Amino acid sequence: MRLHSLVLKDISRRKIKLLVAVLGVAVASAALVAVVTTFSAATDSLYEESNNFGANIIVRPEVKTIPLLAGSTSMGSLLVGENYIEESEIPRIYTIMDSSKLSAVAPRLYGVAELGNASVVIMGVDPEEERKLKSWWKVRGDWISTEGAGQTEVMIGSDVATPMGLTEGSSITLRNGNISMDAQVTGVIESTGGNEDAYVILPLAASQHLLGREGKVSSLEVRALCNTCPVEEISMQIEEKFPGLEARSMSQIVRNELAIVEHIRSSAMAVSIITLLVSTLTVASTMLASVNEKLKEIGIMRAVGASDAQVVSMLLFEGAIIGAVGGIIGFVMGTIASSIAAPLLVQVTPLPMWSILLPVTGVCVLTGMLASILPAKRALGVDPAEVLRSV
Amino acid sequence: MSDGNNMIRIQGAGKRYPMGAGEVEVLRGISLDVKKGEFVSVMGQSGSGKTTLMNLIGMLDSPSEGTILIDGNDITLKPQKELVGLRRRTVGFVFQQFHLIPSLTAYENVALPLVFAGEKDNGAVDIALERVGLSHRKEHKPAELSGGEQQRVAIARAIVMKPKILLADEPTGALDGTTGSMIISLLRSLAGEMTVIMVTHNRELAMLSDRIVNLVDGNIAE
Ligand SMILES: Nc1ncnc2c1ncn2[C@@H]1O[C@H](COP(=O)(O)OP(=O)(O)OP(=O)(O)O)[C@@H](O)[C@H]1O
Ligand SMILES: [Mg+2]
Repeated sequence: MRLHSLVLKDISRRKIKLLVAVLGVAVASAALVAVVTTFSAATDSLYEESNNFGANIIVRPEVKTIPLLAGSTSMGSLLVGENYIEESEIPRIYTIMDSSKLSAVAPRLYGVAELGNASVVIMGVDPEEERKLKSWWKVRGDWISTEGAGQTEVMIGSDVATPMGLTEGSSITLRNGNISMDAQVTGVIESTGGNEDAYVILPLAASQHLLGREGKVSSLEVRALCNTCPVEEISMQIEEKFPGLEARSMSQIVRNELAIVEHIRSSAMAVSIITLLVSTLTVASTMLASVNEKLKEIGIMRAVGASDAQVVSMLLFEGAIIGAVGGIIGFVMGTIASSIAAPLLVQVTPLPMWSILLPVTGVCVLTGMLASILPAKRALGVDPAEVLRSV
Repeated sequence: MSDGNNMIRIQGAGKRYPMGAGEVEVLRGISLDVKKGEFVSVMGQSGSGKTTLMNLIGMLDSPSEGTILIDGNDITLKPQKELVGLRRRTVGFVFQQFHLIPSLTAYENVALPLVFAGEKDNGAVDIALERVGLSHRKEHKPAELSGGEQQRVAIARAIVMKPKILLADEPTGALDGTTGSMIISLLRSLAGEMTVIMVTHNRELAMLSDRIVNLVDGNIAE
């Protein structure tokens, strides 16, 4: 028999009485787990959304009269000015200081062309770079390939495809003035709810030819490699390299949203930490009551050789067990609670966060031990001779 | 004066407790020698300081003045921390109310001192239980044992570490006559191997010891 098995026997004898303390810890742990699970799911989904927004930075000619619609890809329809970026200038972007953080630089040329009797917005892209940014597009059929010798390939948005009865494999003819271009639809982009639903997307060179804008680009969408990159910093570096261009962070909106979530998260954390403190009191008062009940037994143990340190270690161990059991129960409760609440609150369905099981249980164990310091002091404060005498 | 034969040597020991604004003097200038293996009974009226004396010898309490030598060591000079270890190895306690831990079996109760001392069992518990004639009861909890059996478990717990001194404070106080005599004869049989000091109100039982010490108002009247 070991010291700790003595404690376990004692706990199993008084389990009903200790239930209050265990539940106290469990509630606190559940709150903590629910908050962490819900909010990290929310931030994860925002980060994902920020990826879906595409690049972090939009670079385009300075056009002060046109309001910047950051966070959406509506630049195409707005870009009616005569200002363009020279395609040959683009590689210079890789000379900025933080060039190693650039993971994609996607040039685009916007314009309007005739398709049948209708006008459509066309967007010329570098398919390879564009695909890095729009990896989340669901394309029926295939992405267009970088222009080769064969026929021009285009991808069309669902708002173009459906009314015109076009699908992958259809052949179309695009016209702009007296320039006409035969192309084949390789893929249809399933509706994203974004502007691309109305676009006809084709390789950059083809669009330049069609629009009569050889060597010109309307804008660049630049993605930095990481979510936490100093996007503003990179924007500034780009603007320095390219006088007359402006670079704007597109993740602004997402980051605003993140800031709000962070704010709510910290309030919720504060609440769960208060819960944890309150639970410390619950555990402490339960343990204090149990120590008072056990003063005689503690006296006996000291009379038969328990040292002060052993008495304290038994009580701390008891607190730790209460904390651990409460913490684990709380983890389960909190995980269930967040799986119910998170879809309603932040429109995400979180998975159980196994990674926080250990830290949360650890915090609860510490709480339990912290709560047993006072009872332990009380136990040591009593003279064993005194307890044993008073029978 | 050679004290090579003395297990306990008390010299001018006094004990005062604070009481309200003043103090109450429970023991005054007590001197007492107890030989190795001796069986001593302590008698005296209620409140005369018998338990206080036992607690001093058992190192659960320290005297306000005087010295107490246990097996040649002056325990009044030792810091509290050392006393725990010394107490484990030197004294075993038996109380009137048995004071067993209710959630533990007889075997586990007897094993407690070994647990706290961090020692391996090595059969010591079985030997102690056999010594008190309770080998067949070791898996029983205190509530499933008679008073006499509980007291025998308590005695087994007191002797499991093979202490030099066994302190029994009214060990028969909660038992009927026959059971009481049985406990005393058990103590009698242990004396010799160890020094036994027993507090009792029963003169007949006290007669079974080697010597009777009478406490009157905190003084010894032998
Ligand atoms: N901590 C204390 N503070 C004040 N007085 C105390 C304390 N402990 C004991 N006393 C007093 O000391 C006196 C002796 O107590 P003690 O328990 O030694 O008597 P006793 O001889 O064992 O009595 P009994 O036969 O009833 O067990 C009593 O009057 C008691 O009230
Ligand atoms: Mg007494």
